[in-house]
Amino acid sequence: MLKSKTFMKKTRSGGVMKIVREHYLRDDIWCGSEICTECKQESPVLQRDPSIESNLCSYPHYVIPDTNVVLHQIDVLEDPVIRNVIILQTVLQEVRHRSAPVYKRLKDIIHEQEKHFYTFTNEHHRETFIEREPGESANDRNDRAIRVAAKWYGQHLEKAESEADALKVVLLTNDLGNKQKAEESSLLVYRCEEYIKSLIGNPELVDRLALSNDDKHDITSSKVLFPEHLPLSRIQAGIKSGTFLQGTFRASRDNYLEATVFVQGEGEDSTEVLIQGLQNLNRAVYQDVVAVQLYPRNQWLAPSSVMLQDEGAAKDDNEEDKEEEDEEKSVSLGLFLLTSGAVSEAARKPTGKVVGIIKRNWRPFCGMLNLSQIKESTRHLFTPADRRIPRIRIETRQAATLAGQRIMVAIDGWPKHSRYPNGHFVRSLGNAGDKETEQMVLLLEHDVPHQAFSQAVLSSLPKMPWAITPEDMVRREDLRHLSVCSVDPPGCTDIDDALHCRELDNGNVEVGVHIADVSHFIRPCNAMDKEAANRGTTVYLCGKRIDMVPELLSSNLCSLRSNVERLAFSCIWEMNHKAEIIKTRFTKTVINSKASLTYAEAQMRIDDTTKNDDITKSLRGLNKLAKVLKRQRIEKGALTLSSLEVRFHIDSETHDPIDLQTKELMETNSMVEEFMLLANISVAQKIYDEFPDCAMLRKHPAPPPSNYDILLKAAKSKDVEIHTDSAKALADSLDMARVDGFPYFNTLLRILATRCMMQAVYFCSGMDTDFHHYGLASAIYTHFTSPIRRYADIIVHRLLAVAIEADSTYPDLMDKQKQSALSTNLNYRHKMSQYAQRASVAFHTQLFFKSRGILNEEGFVLFVRKNAIIVLIPKFGLEGTVFFDAKHKATPKLVFDEEGPTLKVEQHTFHIFDMVKVTISLDASNIQHQKIRMSLIEPVISGVSVPAPVVEPQAKKPKLDR
Amino acid sequence: MATVQVSEAEKVYILHGIRDDLRVDGRGCEDYRHMEIETDVVSNTDGSAKVTLGHTAVLVGIKADIGKPRPGVPNEGYLEFFVDCSANATPEFEGRGGEELGTELSNTLYKVFNNKHSVDLKSLCISAGEHCWVLYVDVLLLQCDGNLYDAISVAIKAALFNTKIPKVHISADEEGGKEIELSDDPYDCMRLDVENVPCIVTLCKVGHRHVVDVTLQEKACSVASLIISVTHTGTVTCTRKVGGGSLDPESIFEMTEAGKRVGKALHAPLMKLLQQEESLGKTRQKVGFLG
Repeated sequence: MLKSKTFMKKTRSGGVMKIVREHYLRDDIWCGSEICTECKQESPVLQRDPSIESNLCSYPHYVIPDTNVVLHQIDVLEDPVIRNVIILQTVLQEVRHRSAPVYKRLKDIIHEQEKHFYTFTNEHHRETFIEREPGESANDRNDRAIRVAAKWYGQHLEKAESEADALKVVLLTNDLGNKQKAEESSLLVYRCEEYIKSLIGNPELVDRLALSNDDKHDITSSKVLFPEHLPLSRIQAGIKSGTFLQGTFRASRDNYLEATVFVQGEGEDSTEVLIQGLQNLNRAVYQDVVAVQLYPRNQWLAPSSVMLQDEGAAKDDNEEDKEEEDEEKSVSLGLFLLTSGAVSEAARKPTGKVVGIIKRNWRPFCGMLNLSQIKESTRHLFTPADRRIPRIRIETRQAATLAGQRIMVAIDGWPKHSRYPNGHFVRSLGNAGDKETEQMVLLLEHDVPHQAFSQAVLSSLPKMPWAITPEDMVRREDLRHLSVCSVDPPGCTDIDDALHCRELDNGNVEVGVHIADVSHFIRPCNAMDKEAANRGTTVYLCGKRIDMVPELLSSNLCSLRSNVERLAFSCIWEMNHKAEIIKTRFTKTVINSKASLTYAEAQMRIDDTTKNDDITKSLRGLNKLAKVLKRQRIEKGALTLSSLEVRFHIDSETHDPIDLQTKELMETNSMVEEFMLLANISVAQKIYDEFPDCAMLRKHPAPPPSNYDILLKAAKSKDVEIHTDSAKALADSLDMARVDGFPYFNTLLRILATRCMMQAVYFCSGMDTDFHHYGLASAIYTHFTSPIRRYADIIVHRLLAVAIEADSTYPDLMDKQKQSALSTNLNYRHKMSQYAQRASVAFHTQLFFKSRGILNEEGFVLFVRKNAIIVLIPKFGLEGTVFFDAKHKATPKLVFDEEGPTLKVEQHTFHIFDMVKVTISLDASNIQHQKIRMSLIEPVISGVSVPAPVVEPQAKKPKLDR
Repeated sequence: MATVQVSEAEKVYILHGIRDDLRVDGRGCEDYRHMEIETDVVSNTDGSAKVTLGHTAVLVGIKADIGKPRPGVPNEGYLEFFVDCSANATPEFEGRGGEELGTELSNTLYKVFNNKHSVDLKSLCISAGEHCWVLYVDVLLLQCDGNLYDAISVAIKAALFNTKIPKVHISADEEGGKEIELSDDPYDCMRLDVENVPCIVTLCKVGHRHVVDVTLQEKACSVASLIISVTHTGTVTCTRKVGGGSLDPESIFEMTEAGKRVGKALHAPLMKLLQQEESLGKTRQKVGFLG
């Protein structure tokens, strides 16, 4: 018995749409009461004898709460005393619409049999459905629907009660207007407070009553959370007049309430403006170009050294203006942390607020979905993998399938009354935790172009089989007879450098560095060149290489493998035995490498006194000269810095890491390095002499003195003095820095020193005046030696080829603007590839610890933060954070001293370089951000440190141990 | 256009009848056939009407959408017409058979209705130069039994009368962007003033006389006809001659005068009927398509 009716609904989606839904009314919806004889229900929910004693209602009764009563007094409804309640569908829908958490709680109550809550689908009941009338607001209509349903219940139960006592229904509402209207239609109606207070024998319920404000009942008005963005015209006027600053927004990775805006000034004069708090951040997203307004100097703040994440697991605020309680809490906690603590004047940074967005820099973001608590809900929160990106609210109907997958989401907009930006689902990348998926994620997140090469690119490749033509031979110097060899890490297939060394008759030595002649194959401005220029660099991930040029070139035609004839660009010096350069020449050559060695193999040949072949002799010569070169370089003030690099032993079948060790450096490593540096410097000089305006060079600016603060403080804590006046002073004092009984101290200092350094960058010589390379202590430097994996080298090759008249030039090569733009891209790609590499290592580290279980290791405190220490485990080159303010535990007494910097936890004070013992485990509780968790074992601080867990016996996994 | 085969004898019979002001179905020369109108027949349009005239049946649906005003007239909205000649009406329309007729009909409808004298286009403007209402008028021919123009025009007038455009107001935020806000009350809507909307009267020259509302048989006897759109005051807003034959100036004048007369007489009961139907509101029993 279906009766159909339609009702009209107009909604907005872009334009205006009229939506028509069919609404079926039925007459087989039962009242759910045990006393009812009319309804053919099988298992009535509402009891025959609802025993609850009330002053107001002395008769047995059922309760019908209205929407606001449910929303505000859900705590009361949850009380076991309250039973036999009729929840109308109208109420349920409204609750669901307004607050997901309350809806969830209500659903839970309804499912609890003891509570005897009955859902009456009044909206589909033939007699209780009402249509909205002209001039009636949606709220009024719902109130009326509730009254109509209550009235119906009253009459319905009246009919049924033949033998039972007068069973009545009581409507609870806090809305005065609604109450009045209900009284007019002779319903039993009470205010919620009245009713609860009247309950005899349950006075404790009154305490659970939430204070409700009667006039707050209209929740529909959307709360504005953020200040308005200024229109572009005003921003531009403001920037012109200097009231606003334009800069790039950089959210903090560690604290979602903090960000900096990098304001590019004239030349080197750049400032960073600190932004703190949601209101001040004002909906800016990482990488947006924004306009900021500075606060007066007395309101400037210092960056908080607090790690703060926007957490709150699977919450969803279905209603825009609905701010969850605990969220507020975390926000206020954050603000508390931000403002707490006396801030020293020196630490204060220029602080401001975002007043407008000049350009959004949104791209699709990778991340995962937080499922809404409402099963059928289509709105969910999406948590990006990058912590600097805020969570995004998206609408999707396939949430259940997407849960547990890595997905991509694009931001559509961020309205001012919404806590989160709105976005939409773009595509799925696969299951989280899969190696392929994770690799894809980190490539996408770091903007690494990783698609297969297009057909256009591949068509620019030389035709196979390829051979050196007689034409090539005519133009090139034939060096095939020389005993050239290459030395590379094991497993290297893209060999771009080879060396030779031979004694000359005049007693001098001839040393040659031969670099793969990639520019011979990649001609300017063809598809392959453009692709390579865009990619900028080859990206090396654990177990995967994303090539800059197609594999045919990178691993075959350009790779200087042994015993094949290859084209090379050579830099040949004549040196005396003191490694002083007498003559330098550059030439295009043909070589035939006699051996491709690994560092270890080369080292063995040098050390093996029985070997006396040409290659070995050549290696020995090189090694000897390299040592001299290195000494000279260090004397000039080149820095030897340290950063721990790890290598994974990868299982050949599963490709899972089975062991990891820090990379070990051999003499031969530095031998190759020395000659590469030498070649780079020689080439840099040559191209700069020829093309002072458009040489592509690489510089490493000296860090500003303030960068060294942390290093100086750290050294001081061990009574070691570090001089940072010049690179030479720094290098010397680093060499001198030793602490007895602490052999690792020097390495740690060098690691810290590395962190103080600036990024080395490519630039065009015509656009800059400072060429100095700080780390290498060289007046000029460039990249020449790895054209297979770096595009900058290809440009340098072309410049050099033009300089020695071996090749023709082309307009873009001599255009310093274009060169400059190119170097910007190369710097960006280079930086991103490094980040991707690090992320890949981190992921594999996690995989490793997953297979290893829990480990106890010794480590050193590297940094001290307000609420945490950062610990380095030398054995794994692993850095981790030990938090002292765990979420669910009482925070121990923390005293942070910025001058030390030290952190006093209860009785123990942590200094930089303190040795600690930690237990390492994989925290997989957040599948998106699986992280290595470290907890303190030693020193023992009660309430903070944990007892050392028993390390799982390795024998359990004998296969992995091999 | 749908045609029927009429024999010579039949033609003579029809011609002679018309000469004596007595048509085959008993009507006089200026009489319409029985007409039925129902509005609000398609729930997911903003306005709709179904008109049957003899056996001719047309359905008109109007959807209002927000668009950009035409550059020449920034403060006016506009109408778009589409005539769908479904193969239901006559098998000739199958495939692309009805396309030519559809285009012809919609071109005429543009001329007649899409001007500011017929419909108050200014009231369709939301914000000058940026947003306006575009009324998409979709005409569906359900059955063809002659005199499509008249039936369609009556249906369009009825549908425009029935059209309820949701009220919107522009809220300008400081960001400079204007946002269109829609009233959340479904009853809060704008009605169009259809007083000046013309109706089309088609006069067919049959023999020496002219008749209105021709059946297909009569049409077969006619060589030319004149389409006149007339407002309720009797103003002629548009005339158009269709058909292969010629009309002498004198009969054109006569036909125009007749058209004015008939048109005026058509408007008054139509408006009365529409208002009557409207006043019934929700209590009206809907007939729909099965009635």
